[in-house]
Amino acid sequence: MAFRLKMGQYWPADSLLHRMDARAKVACALIIMVSVFFVHSLPQLLFSWAVALLLVALSHVPVTKVLQSVRPVVLMLCLLAICNLLLVRSGDALVSLGPLVITTGGVWAALLYSLRLVAAVLAAALLLLTTTPTQLTDAFDAGLAPLSRIGLPGHELAMVFSLMLRFIPTLADEASAILDAQTARGGALAEGSPIKRVRAVVPVIVALLASSLRHANGLSRALDARCYTGGAERSHWHPLHMELRDWLALLVIALYVVALFLLR
Amino acid sequence: MTVGRDKLTGHLSPSNVVSLSHVTLRYDDLTALDDITLSVAEGERVCVLGANGSGKSTLASVICGLLAPDEGEVSLVGQQVFGPNGVDFAAYQRARRDLGLVFQNPDDQIVTSIVEEDIAFGPENLCLSSEEIGRRVDRELRRVALTDYARRDPSRLSGGQKQRVAIAGALAMEPRVLVLDEPGALLDVRGRRGIMRVMGQLHEQGTTIVHITHFMDEALAADRVVVLDHGRITLEGAPGEVFSHGDELAKLGLQMPFAARLATELRNRGLDVPWTCDERTLSASLAVAKPSNTGTSQFEASPTKQSDLALQVDNVSYTYHDEDMHKALKSISFGVTRGTSVAIVGQTGSGKSTLVRLLCALEAPDQGRIVVDGVDTHARRDRRKLHGKVGYVMQHPERQLFAETVLKDVAYGPTNLGLPHAEIQKRCAHALEVVGLTGKEDASPFQLSGGQQRLCAIAGVLAMRPHILVLDEPTAGLDPRGRRQLEHILEGIHESGVTTIRVTHSMDDAAKAQQVIVLSQAHILMQGTAQEVFSPANKQALHDAGLGLPEPLSFALSVGLETDPLTMNALVDSLIDLCAGEVS
Repeated sequence: MAFRLKMGQYWPADSLLHRMDARAKVACALIIMVSVFFVHSLPQLLFSWAVALLLVALSHVPVTKVLQSVRPVVLMLCLLAICNLLLVRSGDALVSLGPLVITTGGVWAALLYSLRLVAAVLAAALLLLTTTPTQLTDAFDAGLAPLSRIGLPGHELAMVFSLMLRFIPTLADEASAILDAQTARGGALAEGSPIKRVRAVVPVIVALLASSLRHANGLSRALDARCYTGGAERSHWHPLHMELRDWLALLVIALYVVALFLLR
Repeated sequence: MTVGRDKLTGHLSPSNVVSLSHVTLRYDDLTALDDITLSVAEGERVCVLGANGSGKSTLASVICGLLAPDEGEVSLVGQQVFGPNGVDFAAYQRARRDLGLVFQNPDDQIVTSIVEEDIAFGPENLCLSSEEIGRRVDRELRRVALTDYARRDPSRLSGGQKQRVAIAGALAMEPRVLVLDEPGALLDVRGRRGIMRVMGQLHEQGTTIVHITHFMDEALAADRVVVLDHGRITLEGAPGEVFSHGDELAKLGLQMPFAARLATELRNRGLDVPWTCDERTLSASLAVAKPSNTGTSQFEASPTKQSDLALQVDNVSYTYHDEDMHKALKSISFGVTRGTSVAIVGQTGSGKSTLVRLLCALEAPDQGRIVVDGVDTHARRDRRKLHGKVGYVMQHPERQLFAETVLKDVAYGPTNLGLPHAEIQKRCAHALEVVGLTGKEDASPFQLSGGQQRLCAIAGVLAMRPHILVLDEPTAGLDPRGRRQLEHILEGIHESGVTTIRVTHSMDDAAKAQQVIVLSQAHILMQGTAQEVFSPANKQALHDAGLGLPEPLSFALSVGLETDPLTMNALVDSLIDLCAGEVS
């Protein structure tokens, strides 16, 4: 209860993005995420941001919810920006206070590198917010299908991915309960030298591992009882269907990439 | 000995959906099932009772086709899955499609992060069509009353709701036999009642149910009760018949349901009442006077002297800084005198766990002040001083075990306190003696039985010699014998002068405490002595908070007693007095 990881947090709503085929959505999100690395100019930056914000509007997910899910990453990007600001020494010097030198190149790098990544992070967050874990797994499964064809466990990997999404919050809760218990027994977890800290973590990690094994035992019993056989044929409640709008979405994203390159 | 086993079922007759004949199953050198012969008829509701380690869970696995025995014959839903020729894997695969299982921990049975998709998981494995899956998901959501939660994340539901998701997931596969292996063991009273209601409906609709439980009162709803001991069936028959063997059940570490215990006590004291398991029959034979609950209740505890307070909570609020910013506690105030036993009761989400974290100095309140053992918990350095003085036994404390040996695990706390070696050894030896684990020092804690693991974890807290002991649901998931043993140990600890604070779901346990605090929606609803809080006048308020009255008191009310007995003994005394009064 003390801390919760925010992964695969689906936000139920009815929007174009929610209705899209998961495979098309994953492909579009990946293309957007890769494309930001080719953003080098102000018009490109503005364009990629415009597209990202348009997608947020299309998703019908409350803006506060989107902000919450990107907040941790944005904080990291701010750190990155500060590093760029202080370390990049190109262009004219704006401020010079002893060892502290801020240049125009530094300012530009700080803004560009972090702002373009925010667009990528927004795309990833929207994918997770508008796609159920089951759909994600199915898309993942489809993406790994070539692996299954050459005899590698593509489907099983997808299932493991889905179970991971399911068990992260459970194990996080358990970790914080065990952390509390060992702290109350005088375990000093966030104090002392690094070696001391590493040693103090052992009682939590071992207990958590034992706990995970118990879960794994229970889970295997549950999967058996519900007739799940790895690699066997199963049907889907909501089978994936590529419809016209999904092909159109891919086309639009392709046009976006072309436009991005033309803008440089 | 076996009671009346031929009447209800014949062997291997076609109407039996489950037939086990002379089944034996061994794990290495341990015999889990020993020559079991059992059949279950179509539509029957069978309840299996037994202490921990009696083979109940193994029997559940055999009945739902997850485990093949070593000897004997097994036939499930018309398929001979195990016979003289050994295991028939194809038959097992066919049979398993018609068998459903729900077990203890709902967290382990839910495989996706959206309720309705989880219910669809089983039908998808059966390769059903999309429309059929949709139809079944809707139907099962309605049956377990979770339609409004269809798109929610199961990890954020209460334990009872999660378990209902698990039941819906099993039912969506339309099993002919549903096996429930202690489905209520980890749930609160309300959650258990919800599960019992669903089982009742299913039984009426003709589903065959095999229910394994630790709660004797739940067995009363069954058509037939089977009692296991060391892998053997020792008693079998209708609930009334089985529970009439009180002495034998006690020897097996079980007990009788409440009404049967009361009837037995009364008859032993010479009162002429019929022996029965049914509360209504018993109260009908006793009902005499009119209920007169005119007593007004006092919520505020009598003021205590400042100096001898073990705990002082002064106008405390706490808010979780997560996305919802929900207030877990709002302006809570109370004091606990040194050496008192306190019970904290309240529904899931009432703020109990947060209060416990604050009392154990794991966190400081946002507003207000908490003074524990004379130390204000506001500053981090002061909170650290309290670790050790306040012992914290978390829910399922066996999950905190980590060391290679029992002794090393118990010594973890004292070592952290920086005590000299000799003192650590002394304290560990004493703590292990208190919980009765002397002699197990060098065993691995993971090789102990479930109940012993819990005692080992508690010893690890006791070895720190806490002045105040905080326990969160210490008896959850234990069998009657384990519960009694732990109760006894806790009483001893309290008598030695330790202030004990206990979070509990059981009103009967709370009634034994000297001070009771009732939490509801982040507020203190009422507090006072057990007698003050559990008074007939508070019945409605407690009910509205999702709680109830202790069993002896609600029985007393149903027969119109004027005293408010909170324990079985007090109830028996007042009933005897009442009847003696009538005679004279």
